[in-house]
Amino acid sequence: MSSESNTDTNADTETSTEAESTDTSATETVERGNPAPDTDSDLPEHGLKGAEPDDRPHPSGRRNEQGIRVDPAVESRHDPRRAVLSALVEDDPGVLSRVAGLISRRQFNIESLTVGQTTIEGHSRITMVVEETEPNIDQIERQLDKLKPVIAVGELADDAIQTELVLLKVRGNEPDKVNAITQMYDGETMDADPQTITIQLTGDEQKIDSAIDAFEQFGIIEIARTGYTALARGDTATVPGEKPGTANEPTKPANTR
Amino acid sequence: MSKQASTNPDIETEADTDTDAQPQTQTPSPETTSDVLPIETGADAVIRALENEGIEAAFGVQGGAIMPVYDALYYSDIRHVTMAHEQGAAHAADAFGVVKNEPGVCMATSGPGATNLVTGIADANMDSDGMLALTGQVPSDMVGSDAFQETDTIGVTAPLTKHNYFADDPDTIGDTVGEALALADEGRPGPTLVDLPKNITSADTEREPTPGEPPATTRPQYSADEDAVLTTANAIEEASQPLLLFGGGVIKADATEEARAFAREHEIPVVTTMPGIGSFPEDDDLCLSWAGMHGTGYANMAITHTDLLIGVGTRFDDRLTSGIDTFAPEAEIVHIDIDPAEISKNVHADYPLIGDAETVLEQLDGAIETTPETAEWCEQCVEWQETYPMDYAMPEDEPLKPQFIVEVMDEATAADTIVTSGVGQHQMWASQYWTYTEPRTWVSSHGLGTMGYGLPGAIGARIAADDDQDVVCIDGDGSFLMTIQELSVAVRENLDITVAVLNNEYIGMVRQWQDAFFEGRRMAAEYNWCPEFDTLAEAFGAEGFRIDEYDEVAETVEAALAYDGPSVIDCHIDPAENVYPMVPSGGANGKFALTEEQL
Repeated sequence: MSSESNTDTNADTETSTEAESTDTSATETVERGNPAPDTDSDLPEHGLKGAEPDDRPHPSGRRNEQGIRVDPAVESRHDPRRAVLSALVEDDPGVLSRVAGLISRRQFNIESLTVGQTTIEGHSRITMVVEETEPNIDQIERQLDKLKPVIAVGELADDAIQTELVLLKVRGNEPDKVNAITQMYDGETMDADPQTITIQLTGDEQKIDSAIDAFEQFGIIEIARTGYTALARGDTATVPGEKPGTANEPTKPANTR
Repeated sequence: MSKQASTNPDIETEADTDTDAQPQTQTPSPETTSDVLPIETGADAVIRALENEGIEAAFGVQGGAIMPVYDALYYSDIRHVTMAHEQGAAHAADAFGVVKNEPGVCMATSGPGATNLVTGIADANMDSDGMLALTGQVPSDMVGSDAFQETDTIGVTAPLTKHNYFADDPDTIGDTVGEALALADEGRPGPTLVDLPKNITSADTEREPTPGEPPATTRPQYSADEDAVLTTANAIEEASQPLLLFGGGVIKADATEEARAFAREHEIPVVTTMPGIGSFPEDDDLCLSWAGMHGTGYANMAITHTDLLIGVGTRFDDRLTSGIDTFAPEAEIVHIDIDPAEISKNVHADYPLIGDAETVLEQLDGAIETTPETAEWCEQCVEWQETYPMDYAMPEDEPLKPQFIVEVMDEATAADTIVTSGVGQHQMWASQYWTYTEPRTWVSSHGLGTMGYGLPGAIGARIAADDDQDVVCIDGDGSFLMTIQELSVAVRENLDITVAVLNNEYIGMVRQWQDAFFEGRRMAAEYNWCPEFDTLAEAFGAEGFRIDEYDEVAETVEAALAYDGPSVIDCHIDPAENVYPMVPSGGANGKFALTEEQL
């Protein structure tokens, strides 16, 4: 560091046992520690020096708000997309609050989050749907993975089985019509009285949205949606490293890190 | 303080205290430590777990719910330093851990004790400092009832810790403490906490804790992917203006030697982050000192013009990068970090290498076949050092400059001297004008920016340091006043520390910003009265000194350093002095201002 290469003429302090700098880079020979009066010159002998900020050479390169260097030849911006993440977690108290707290304090956009037990004692699965940019989806996965109760986490492929359960309560004055639409959407009537009919529907977002549109004509009184739950298709692991198993042969989360 | 009402009868009768279990009269001698005493309670198991992990010291404050744990500590060889305030305990444990490179331990009671620790826990979390906090808790059957001195410590500290544990079983409480300590130290270090309900710590158990193992779900990756190493090595070979950026992770990974050898072997200039100070000797020809908001002009020029920035153990914090759009705008970025979540969090990594700093640098070193041609680039870096020197003027008609005091103290002390600081202008001068050459000699609050860290930090550092090592705290008047009560601890424990208060009777950094960005409206940053710190130090029982003039500096510093015990120098500095260079927040590193007019 050039600031140390000056000889201190306030010589009383030359008791340093520290190795003196061998830095030859500083060519200034002015001495510090000597409160000499200012010279007549406009340029002060001491102090910070150098070109003004705008007079220094500056590269023309830039990064985008995601910290990615902007390559003029390539569009490097990422737009938000929808992703379904699945996490295998230890079922200890507070795991949901730890996960939810992380998502909220890091300002990740989340559409839904469901949690339920698995066949392995002490393990639960959390499924969440997020709407985020590619770098942020990576961030969510990595931050979740850092949580001690999170055993493994991964994003599901587009072809994964994704489904949601909805309870819909509509006015009961046209039971036949309600029943017809319930049939069309493979729904089930859960409750009916002269005033209301409550229907259960399952399916993906498109189907549920379309069903809600169809039931709208009767007047929807109340609705409750569970949010997505999902599993990977076939013998693909839902969470990387997780080996699909049966109730007798439980899944074994491998250490993926 | 309310928690000192620890003998509140409601709590005492609720707790199933087992005070008859151990003799009350004797002073423990080395022969009768808990090595030979059997475990009788949960609290004994807690202390045994600490001993098993080799914990030598703990910092804390007593209180109702933690009393059984302190009672068990009574028989232990672990040195307990009773602090004046729990925040001080957390900072002291933090600094102890930084100097020892192992987790420091702090203790507090429930409620206010735990919440007072929170600042220190948050500080450790931001700086990735390993730390274990043990907090008392109300008996577990009272949890959730808003009992006396109850706080949801788990809820409050969850976002600030790597993980926290609620101990609910006296038979496993020791295992939990062992796991928490191991986790604090594993991979990227950080704070962990174990909440200890009073009925659990005082319940019967004879179970010896098992050796502390980090949880199976958190195992980090130590060596980087071989293919990624080869690609990165190739990029380094081809770079013409490579720059190493050493962060605090280099020091925490104990990779200093490997990092130094790597830079010298491949002739790559080095900048550090502020927590990375000491990872590379600042008097080395290759070292450009630290970069960022108040870093050196030459470090910021190098970052601006490098074509390959090799970040090791750094999280590319905003005080380093300033505006992301103009950060190292021409550079491809290599990022070596043990925490995968840091990769591409703030700045996109073109070459991500997940792993331990030392291991990955060794891997890279082995993979690089031809050292990059950097002579011209090194020359350019030297030229920037000449063009933008770190220097300050000392006009006769102006009061004492703080930078001068820092330099005199540096010269008066050995290279292994530990410097702690608070946060603000004094911290910047202490890091700019002291030449650090060794790791773990700069101990400060970086990420959280906690004013008041300096004095308790010096206490923790003093206890961790070798006997022949000097410990100096460079503090500001504002920071010093925030934790000044810890001076009583330094006196009580007769700790040889020297505090230099760079006193400008301002919250100086705020005042500097008010002058620059708020048209000089010095709201709540200006004191109309400030205590005489030398006299105040004397009242505490420490040695007090005062400096007003240049010709007093060397002599007074010598006298304060020579004093065997805590000493305080009240340095009355130029209140108008500002910290430069400065990169305004969000600005470009290469456009650092040298004066307020340039902002």
